Amino acid sequence: MDIDVIVDNIPFFLGGLILTFKLAVIAISGGIFLGILLAQARLSSRAWLYYPATIYVHFFRGLPLILVIFWLYFLVPVFTGHSLNEFSAVVISFIVYEASYFSEILRSGIQSVPAGQVMAARASGMTPFQTARYVVLPQAIKNMVPAMVTHCVVVFQDTSLAYVIGLREFLRRINLVDAREARSVELYFFAGLVYFVICSLGGLLSQRFEKKQLKGAHF
Amino acid sequence: MIEINDVSLWYSPELKVLSNISAFIDRGKKIVVCGASGSGKSSLLRCINGLERFQKGEILVNGVSVMSPTTDIYKLRSRMGMVFQHFELYPHMTVMDNITLAPIRVGKKSKGQAKAIATSLLERVGIPEQADKYPSTLSGGQQQRVAIARALAMEPEIMLFDEPTSALDPEMIKEVLDVMVDLAHEGMTMVVVTHEMGFAREVADEVIFMDQGAMVERQDVQTFFTAPENLRAKQFLKRIIR
Repeated sequence: MDIDVIVDNIPFFLGGLILTFKLAVIAISGGIFLGILLAQARLSSRAWLYYPATIYVHFFRGLPLILVIFWLYFLVPVFTGHSLNEFSAVVISFIVYEASYFSEILRSGIQSVPAGQVMAARASGMTPFQTARYVVLPQAIKNMVPAMVTHCVVVFQDTSLAYVIGLREFLRRINLVDAREARSVELYFFAGLVYFVICSLGGLLSQRFEKKQLKGAHF
Repeated sequence: MIEINDVSLWYSPELKVLSNISAFIDRGKKIVVCGASGSGKSSLLRCINGLERFQKGEILVNGVSVMSPTTDIYKLRSRMGMVFQHFELYPHMTVMDNITLAPIRVGKKSKGQAKAIATSLLERVGIPEQADKYPSTLSGGQQQRVAIARALAMEPEIMLFDEPTSALDPEMIKEVLDVMVDLAHEGMTMVVVTHEMGFAREVADEVIFMDQGAMVERQDVQTFFTAPENLRAKQFLKRIIR
């Protein structure tokens, strides 16, 4: 074991990790935003909203993410004549792809709230917005937090797929240093440790949130 | 006060839920609606406050049409309280917050005013000590009494009850019925879907019997129990009263 290869390259790895985080944060926030719109459309009784959103969700959930990244990076320039840089291609792929997963988590969370709750709120004179804000969403969010956090962790791990088009995020940089120094054992062990620690922290945060919720309200 | 004119409701041409219902319910009257399950009782109740959109006919509450696009349906609903079979208290809120939510958000009352109203209502339904608890820690009877207090908090002119005691353990039915009887004696206009015939005898002015979406019998209490005209109503009474 020679950890010098890691210590010497810390600034280089850190740069990659920052890019990984940037990617994950944009993918998650963009995915959730688009996911909210999709979930609303999926819950709508209007056919022109429901069907396109449903097809969208099933389409992307039926594809591997890596293929979507390839498509955006290699095929979009062919059709549009404009090439996308690596970062944009990856970010857009992640957002359109992860939105389909986030929308399903959001939808099932909202649907987990019994219809009678909506009826009670509406019967008291609340508008659809007030019903969502005060009655449905507080219950739905509590139900969907564990699945949300789990999926955020998955997105964070999936950012490593960006290496396929040469984006120099964390894992790609490990890969580059290994090509130069031939220290696979140390480098990939280190990479595993970094992913493990960060993802475990996410899991712990979710558990703490659940415990806090349990203390507050008795469902 | 409530005028139901020839109302029909269907989910598909084959699935008719209500057919040509007409009724007039005057201020202060107590109407009990009964009939087998699936006869359209609950649907009728939901049509009155516009939770169910019907295809034909008209319902006027204080002269205002429930289905008209120009009606402020939220305001109209806030004048009618509704109590459900399964209580439908908000599980993420305390009893106090359950009762004050609509007065604050819909009735635009201050927090202090809403709390004062809620406190006096909790006393009225006999559970002032439960204000800070969550619904899941209460018994079924207590939860339903909170639900009644929640509906009363908007100071409604009409109260709609949808089988309020059907989900309760037998020993808790009385505590809920007692609250409803008090309410009736105070002059509230009430439409109650129930199979509690004792309650009907004690407070109802009229009984409506429904069968397969139609109103097949409408009588004053005395006649309904002693000499019902409709065959199904006769069978129903025989089965339900020993």
